[in-house]
Amino acid sequence: MATVEAPVVGITVLYFLAIIVIGYYSRQRLKSATDYYVAGRQVGAVVNGLALESTYLSPASMLGLPAYVFILGYPFWWAMAAIIAGMPIATLLTASALRKYAPTSFADYYADRYNDERLRWVVGIVTVIGAVLYITLSIVGMALFLLAVAKVPYIIGIVVGTIIVMLYVVWGGMIATSWNAAFQAFLMTVAAVIAAVAILVKLGGVNGFYEAVAANNPKFWNTPSDPEPPHLLSGTWIAVIGWFFVWHYGFATMPYTVVRFFTTMDIKTARRSIFWCTLAAGIFYMALQIIGAASKLMIETGPMGGEGANAVAILKSYMAQYGVGGWTDYSMVAAVEALQNPWILGVLCAGGLAIAMSTAAGWVMVVNTIVTRDWGDMMLKSRYAKENPIALARIISVIFLLVGLVIAINPPGLVLDLSGWAFVVIISALGPGLILGLWWKRATRAAMWTTAVIMTPLHLFAWLRAKLPVEQGGLGHHAFFFLNDVLFGDKTALITPHQVWAIPVGFILFIVVSLLTKPVEEEAVQKYCVELTKEV
Amino acid sequence: MPWPPKVFWVGVVVYYGFTALCWIAEATAGINHIVGLPFWYAAFLGSFVIPLVMSVIYFYFPEKAEEARGGA
Repeated sequence: MATVEAPVVGITVLYFLAIIVIGYYSRQRLKSATDYYVAGRQVGAVVNGLALESTYLSPASMLGLPAYVFILGYPFWWAMAAIIAGMPIATLLTASALRKYAPTSFADYYADRYNDERLRWVVGIVTVIGAVLYITLSIVGMALFLLAVAKVPYIIGIVVGTIIVMLYVVWGGMIATSWNAAFQAFLMTVAAVIAAVAILVKLGGVNGFYEAVAANNPKFWNTPSDPEPPHLLSGTWIAVIGWFFVWHYGFATMPYTVVRFFTTMDIKTARRSIFWCTLAAGIFYMALQIIGAASKLMIETGPMGGEGANAVAILKSYMAQYGVGGWTDYSMVAAVEALQNPWILGVLCAGGLAIAMSTAAGWVMVVNTIVTRDWGDMMLKSRYAKENPIALARIISVIFLLVGLVIAINPPGLVLDLSGWAFVVIISALGPGLILGLWWKRATRAAMWTTAVIMTPLHLFAWLRAKLPVEQGGLGHHAFFFLNDVLFGDKTALITPHQVWAIPVGFILFIVVSLLTKPVEEEAVQKYCVELTKEV
Repeated sequence: MPWPPKVFWVGVVVYYGFTALCWIAEATAGINHIVGLPFWYAAFLGSFVIPLVMSVIYFYFPEKAEEARGGA
């Protein structure tokens, strides 16, 4: 492994300075609680679009997805394609209508559409669980890039990363978060593109890349229709379709993207911001697809490799050396390290920090608004929350970041994996109420409660049942359908990655309960189901 | 009952249709084994160009309709 070189340190330090400066100056524009929560609804299309990209795509994208491509082969490219295609779908499905409505917090819509203030609690609790998991994942992601690329000790990495996010969230709230997230999106996209182009050049262009990858791993380009698929988890078309849909609708329903629709100047800006997001994220994902596909080859032929080298063994040696995360977390860094270019590594380190910090900040903004405004001010009627919303939001932001920091000191593997669970639980528990609440007059309050209350624990049980090792009563992998052994007598019978079944089950449950219960008041239906969706 | 505008369905049908056609072509003709081709249809078109075109028509046509109504 290479020792840290000056360009890596220099670029990383410059990145930190840039986001601190952006955060510091953005606080001058902070005049009211609305500025803090939704940036005064003054964010333009380009900034919001880029901020959407960096907030939505977490370290799981930059570290996890190339690793998935490395393991599951080419079919996983389609899961990444679907994540990008989910962005424009959100434009007319939720973004335009929600911007027209212009709420302040994620929970506002649920409380108003279903005419039930108590929904601020249930929606808030599900969101807070997701936030803690994602903030922890992001802090670990920051430290992992600092550790593996800049060789900064893990504990220093988590502390430095957390303090910097804390600084700009506390200073400038959503204004600082938006501008920093836009800058971070630019940086992470450039980092991935530079690395991918360097790999393509090294391997002789697109055709050279294809042939080199095929020569290194003959199964890589196979699909389930070929005799030897790349992996069990990409070995059937049901699995490929499952991977395709598992994250597909996340962009339309996840709190940290939905609140960004509230920050734009108007509905036109909201729509156009998704164009910019799709543009940048599409380029970013193409780059990650190339890096993921070439990882094994790059690692095995790089300075750590050689005759008969095995990428998995090399990555396990990385993990043993650094002692954090799993071996797959190092595939992206090891592949880029194999290029032996400290400038590219430096940009990668800054890009990795950027993607992690923007996601942490985005989640902190979602939860500080819910806890301060929805819970403190509106539900608990706290005088302090009413009179000092910005101060309280700042305190809440610090608390959530500190909780994430404490968990990140020695993160249990299960906690990091659970961010995948949290993603799907939010889509399945809160997504039906969001989408159908806009597009179906019959959507009822009881259905909203039932779906949120049932899908959260049900999905946790199913996820654990699939994920835990056989000796602990599980099936061994979260991509196994949790009833495989009961229904089919074979734990690997049906591959349903991240329990993709939970999303249609959530929607079906919502529809059935809605049909059996009393609709909400006509006035609410008229406002949310007719006026908001008209001419989106 | 509210219903998303026609342009929404055009984008959705184009994207899912394209994906389904690619998978059918992979399963029947093995196009994934043609050197370099998966990059062009799955990465360049599927992950970039088609989603980007969807995002364009999803703001262009609603804005055009707003102008026709005399709005913003």
